[in-house]
Amino acid sequence: MSVAEGHAEGKDEVLELIRRSLPPGKFKEVVATRWPRRYIVFIDAWALRPVMEALKVAGFDRFIAIEAIDWYNIEPVFELLYYVESVKLGGPLVIVRTKIPRNNPEIDTIRDIYPLAHWQEIENYEFFGIRFRGHPDLRLWILEDNWEGPPPLRKDFDTVKYVLETYYGGKKWERPVKRREPPPPRGEE
Amino acid sequence: MAESKPRMIFLGPQHPGAPGNVAFKVWLKGEKVVKAELVPGFLHRGFEKMMENRWWEVDVVLSPRYCVEDPDNFELAYVLAVEDLFGVEAPEKAKVVRTIVAEMSRIQSHLFWLMHMGGATGARYIPGWAMAAREEILKWYDYVTGHRIYHHYMTPGGIRWNIPKDFKEVTLRALNKVMPIVKDIEDAFINNRILRARTEGIGVVKGYVAVQLNATGPTLRAAGIKYDVRKVDPYEAYRDVDFEIPTGTEGDAHDRIVVRIREIYQSKRIIEQLVERVKPEDLNYRVKMPLLPPPSLPWPAVARHGEGMSRVEAARGEAMVHVVGIKDRKPYRVKLITPSMPLLTTVMDYIIEHEDITIADLPIIVMSLDPCPPDIDR
Amino acid sequence: MALKALLLGMKYLFRKPYTMLVPEKEPPMTTERTRGRHLLDMSKCVGCRMCQMVCPADAIKMYKVEGDFKRNPKKIFPGIDFNRCTFCALCVEVCPTGALSMTDITGWYMTTTDTRTNLRSPYDLAAELAKNEKPDFRITITKQTFLYQTKKKG
Ligand code: SF4
Ligand code: SF4
Repeated sequence: MSVAEGHAEGKDEVLELIRRSLPPGKFKEVVATRWPRRYIVFIDAWALRPVMEALKVAGFDRFIAIEAIDWYNIEPVFELLYYVESVKLGGPLVIVRTKIPRNNPEIDTIRDIYPLAHWQEIENYEFFGIRFRGHPDLRLWILEDNWEGPPPLRKDFDTVKYVLETYYGGKKWERPVKRREPPPPRGEE
Repeated sequence: MAESKPRMIFLGPQHPGAPGNVAFKVWLKGEKVVKAELVPGFLHRGFEKMMENRWWEVDVVLSPRYCVEDPDNFELAYVLAVEDLFGVEAPEKAKVVRTIVAEMSRIQSHLFWLMHMGGATGARYIPGWAMAAREEILKWYDYVTGHRIYHHYMTPGGIRWNIPKDFKEVTLRALNKVMPIVKDIEDAFINNRILRARTEGIGVVKGYVAVQLNATGPTLRAAGIKYDVRKVDPYEAYRDVDFEIPTGTEGDAHDRIVVRIREIYQSKRIIEQLVERVKPEDLNYRVKMPLLPPPSLPWPAVARHGEGMSRVEAARGEAMVHVVGIKDRKPYRVKLITPSMPLLTTVMDYIIEHEDITIADLPIIVMSLDPCPPDIDR
Repeated sequence: MALKALLLGMKYLFRKPYTMLVPEKEPPMTTERTRGRHLLDMSKCVGCRMCQMVCPADAIKMYKVEGDFKRNPKKIFPGIDFNRCTFCALCVEVCPTGALSMTDITGWYMTTTDTRTNLRSPYDLAAELAKNEKPDFRITITKQTFLYQTKKKG
């Protein structure tokens, strides 16, 4: 179902608050979704930092995650979703959505605004190859020592095939190691 | 003595003080910990990619497997997200049963954590007691769902098969066996003078700082912040049950222990209320799912594809699942948002920066945060 | 306080141990719903490969079996690799004819006090078991376990 189906009826105070506190001209649209108390802010990639700063000032204090979606065939972009919720206001959730081009995936870091973003950005770097401008420590973190190929979660890359060829020696099920013979039974003599 | 350079050692992943499949690089100056860095990835299995290659309803089998200790809450999160995308509503009975199963999962997760905590503090008797109590719940799971650890009992559209005829008695009997052991653990362990000396005032994350560190779950509540997704964004049957959110005051390791123990009592309360409402004879527990997700309505700026989202309170904090479906038998993207990452990164860094902790305190702090490392890796 | 903890410890000291002696004293821990080894009714199977397609662990391979099977013209039957199977019962659920079902056999219990049997292969142990007593198991999950409602409109 479409996310924007079923707008919240009547006056929505949190929606008004988000509209009011975001810097004018920096965002495209703020919508209430069909999920109660969850909102979506559409922005351009260049406006990420001012929007996140404004959200933090407005009380959206707990950063949850960054999600990347690879719209490979459908549109040559990576869509980035930043999840922030507000403990202060008692639970509303805001998703900031933006798109960056697929051939040059770069966006500003927000690691100084929310501390957890530091680690979430590393995660998205290793799984999607998105570069975060101003992040000092982009490296393999979860995949460290286990992976040499291109970013594995991209849609144009056949991870299963690569893993089978590189790590499993082309075999489908077994690793190319020799099975150890079972030891002889004990206590026979 | 001259100032020596910090010495780096590895802690984990096989160390008993490490919380499972995760390691730390710890920099030491004498006994004092100057810095600890997380080394994840020992249990990375690529769930997000695997789920893209399997059918919607088959992914239920994968969905609990990224956290051994608390499988059902994550299973519930995935199932809710898929239901949300397909626009299917599960019958009332299925919702209640799922809530009971998820709460049982919370209890067994906290018991499992008690075992770790006892191990980290050197209280050798606690692991045995806690595992005995958990065993009762695992037997209950085997009786109801057919498996002990990963149950695959929920499915988009309801639950997979009916509950047994004596569901109520069996559930209450299991709880009545678990609760005395929890009480004993409380008496012998939580109020123990040695434990208090080792945990009080250690690992303090107090007040609003916890939110700024993006902490979640019992860590957030022990810091004194009353925040629980079951209350602020109720799902399933939590809307009409009566329970409290236990909170701490000091935000230290001992507070986190106490909060979790009190959460076990609250879970018991929830189950006791819900058990009255399920009837084994009621056969309306599963609706058939359509094979393909419905086409979505056009919307200018959003991607034109269907999306489903769920938000649940797992035993370790807020978990979310976001699924994106184009008109296909398989998901286009599944994002699993799990609660453990902030606990071992931002919160750990904060504690080490603001306190004088020694290498002996480190396992206690890590365990009191109760991370589930596989859900960092996924 | 300390006394109380001590008393509690005493209480547990004199309790009978929680550990179960499987398989010597107590039967294997299974219930009426335990999902264990599969059972295939070869007279019902039509060789439609549905179970192979649904299997999340890719554990099912189709094998050709010679013989007279009226309902199965291609003579292919599923064979399950139990090293891969997750016992999720999706293949039982999806099978259109109800040919697959599940029993409560969850494995062979290798922990014995007799060191000679400790390191035998499961097949040896099973052969021994079959010699001494009749292997008893229950069928726990069948196609009938799963029930669907069609969604009511409105
Ligand atoms: S789904 Fe059933 S009938 Fe079809 S091949 Fe498998 S066992 Fe045979
Ligand atoms: S039980 Fe599940 S994993 Fe095992 S063969 Fe059947 S579908 Fe595959």
